[in-house]
Amino acid sequence: MIPAETYLLLSAAIFCIGLFGILTRRNALIFLMSVELMLNAANINLVAFSLQHGNLTGQVFSLFTMALAAAEVAIGIGIILVLYRNFTDVDVTKATTMRW
Amino acid sequence: MAAFTYAPAIVLLPFVSFLVALFAGDRMPKGGALAGITATGGSLLLSIWVALTVAGGDVHNEILYQWTTSVETLQLNFGLLLDPLSALMLLIVCLISFLVHIFSLGYMNDEGETGLPRYYAGLGLFTASMLGFVVANNLLMAFMFFELVGLCSYLLIGFWFRDDGPPSAAKKAFLVTRFGDYFFLIGVVGIFATFGTGLFAPITQGGEVVAESFPMLAEHAIVDGETAGIAMLETVGMGPQQWFTVLGLLVLGGVVGKSAQFPLHTWLPDAMEGPTPVSALIHAATMVAAGVYLVARMYGFYALSPTALAVIALIGGFTALFAATMGLVKQEIKQVLAYSTISQYGYMMLALGSGGYIAAVFHLTTHAVFKALLFLGAGSVIIAMHHNENMWDMGGLKDRMPVTYWTFLAGSLALAGIVPFAGFWSKDEVLYEALIHGFGTEGGLGTAYLIAYAMGLLAVFFTGFYTFRMVYLTFHGDARSDTARDPEPVRWNVKGPLTVLGILATTIGFINMAPVAKLTGAEIDFLHKWLNGPENGGWPAALNTGLHHYEGLLHDVSHVVKGYPLGETPTLLASAGVSLGLALAGVLVARTLYAGADPVEHTDKLGGLKTLLMHNYYQDEYQVWLATGVTYPLARVMNKFDQGVVDGVVNGISSVSLFGGSRIRRIQSGVVSNYATLLTLGLVLLLAAFGIMGGWF
Repeated sequence: MIPAETYLLLSAAIFCIGLFGILTRRNALIFLMSVELMLNAANINLVAFSLQHGNLTGQVFSLFTMALAAAEVAIGIGIILVLYRNFTDVDVTKATTMRW
Repeated sequence: MAAFTYAPAIVLLPFVSFLVALFAGDRMPKGGALAGITATGGSLLLSIWVALTVAGGDVHNEILYQWTTSVETLQLNFGLLLDPLSALMLLIVCLISFLVHIFSLGYMNDEGETGLPRYYAGLGLFTASMLGFVVANNLLMAFMFFELVGLCSYLLIGFWFRDDGPPSAAKKAFLVTRFGDYFFLIGVVGIFATFGTGLFAPITQGGEVVAESFPMLAEHAIVDGETAGIAMLETVGMGPQQWFTVLGLLVLGGVVGKSAQFPLHTWLPDAMEGPTPVSALIHAATMVAAGVYLVARMYGFYALSPTALAVIALIGGFTALFAATMGLVKQEIKQVLAYSTISQYGYMMLALGSGGYIAAVFHLTTHAVFKALLFLGAGSVIIAMHHNENMWDMGGLKDRMPVTYWTFLAGSLALAGIVPFAGFWSKDEVLYEALIHGFGTEGGLGTAYLIAYAMGLLAVFFTGFYTFRMVYLTFHGDARSDTARDPEPVRWNVKGPLTVLGILATTIGFINMAPVAKLTGAEIDFLHKWLNGPENGGWPAALNTGLHHYEGLLHDVSHVVKGYPLGETPTLLASAGVSLGLALAGVLVARTLYAGADPVEHTDKLGGLKTLLMHNYYQDEYQVWLATGVTYPLARVMNKFDQGVVDGVVNGISSVSLFGGSRIRRIQSGVVSNYATLLTLGLVLLLAAFGIMGGWF
């Protein structure tokens, strides 16, 4: 059996890739993808612990997370659409009007 | 008792006349006067009925309406207390008010005044509030009506509000009495907080006390050490007696303001700016009488405190003398009467303070009659003189207005205290009580009584002098102006009230000829019997407002004892002889100086004293100085403190947050990446912190 640490390392790696994407890219679509990566990193964690402890709680949780992620993507794409309409671009650093 | 069922109507009738005059007065003949006359007449009849019932031995103390029900420990009520004292006062107030309403027909209607509905509405409300005050069975209700009386005096003194003087005088009357009432209000709150009740007399049902009164609770605390029902006994380190003294003196503040005692008397002479019938009402039966009546009403409370008694006696004696001296030099007839009022109420306070409860009530009664008479007489003279009040423009009115002259003379003889007119009997009794209690009582209280007695005695001479100076200048000698040579005639509505009061002023002293009763042994001290009640049982046992009870308290608690320096009868005769002699001396001096055909002013001989007296001892000046020189700068300093320090701290805190906010908001760049970076950094730092503290590394 593959030990749980391996899954956790995989999860940490995917999370860091997602985080790196958010911190360095400017395209809102890439942002959305990076967020998906981070969410899935969390899912891998949940499933890994579910396997480790031998119960189904973590797996059920990850199902919920997937449903949540689908909803989030729908809203996220909606926001990006509006962003494009208002700023004729999907560059997140250009949309700076919502501040003091 | 049927009379007691209708007793609330005594108060409500004038109140209805107030409403009628206010809302329908301009559509009625005589501007609402008839409503007022009917209402006060009805009240007078009901008062007579009540007085007859009380004379039959029945008294009444009942709560009519309770307007706080939620609090169990504190009940605030409207109620009626009808005992001999309040029945007597009801008679006085209703009678004077009735006559003043009739007189107003001559003084206001016949003179073509405008705004009559307002005037009669004011009179109605004035009468109603005074009657409500008289029948009140608890201190809070008394306070409420006390304030209403003050409001009405404001409205009526300022009746001619288009002139300069009256509005200012009205404001002064209102503010000065309010200043006293401020202490009264604190006293009321203190009494409620201490005793949980403001009842003047206990309420009994079938011989059982169901609601105890505060004078009785105080008495139990001091006499028997029985302290059940008293919430605040040891207040700020004071024992019961000291604390009750403080409460009594606080309430006395309101009395001093309303009864125009030194140093809050300054409003009263200025109040002469109002119409003369209003002056008569204020001085004789309402407003000024309210203060003295209040002390008499809660005499069971004051009798427990020698200090309060001494203060009352000294204030009274001093005011009697002080005001009488100011009356010596005045040139306007109403001003002389105003100072005589202050002086006479000083006598009543002197009597109350020195244990002469009967004497005070007696003087209150006789004074109400003769002072109303004098003011209405002065009003008659003022009509005749076309509203010129200066006595130096009068003279010789004796033959031209005989009814006014003879009635005014009766009132003057009563005021001066010449036997056998009303004022002699009452004033003599006041001084006699002060004298014997002064000699009998030991310690500071006795000394205070003797000092107060000396001042009161000296004031008798001045009273005789200024009264007859006024009479001689107004009615005797040659006419000194054209209007005095051809005065305007007055009608029945002026002469009628004058005649009634003139007869009363001559005879009302006979209700309590105590000296004659003592000398002859005849049972003719009716007022004494009226206020004393039966010796055992009866209403004094139920209400504890009888003279017998008060005398017991004075003797046992305050140690006020009678003493006769010359033996009983000689002391009585000497006291009466001295006060009569001084009064006659005053009259004779006035006659010598002013009785000639063409009298001249002698006041210049007084030199600097005249200036002092004409300026009323600079009382107004020093009170204005107190306001502008002390209170106003103090208020400015307080304002500075408020604006600078208190507001400064508040403003400082807000500007610090404003400045901080304007700097810290810079981190909100609006760029999502920056936020994400900050979040990540925060997470890393948090993890690092946990790691260090948790010992992971």
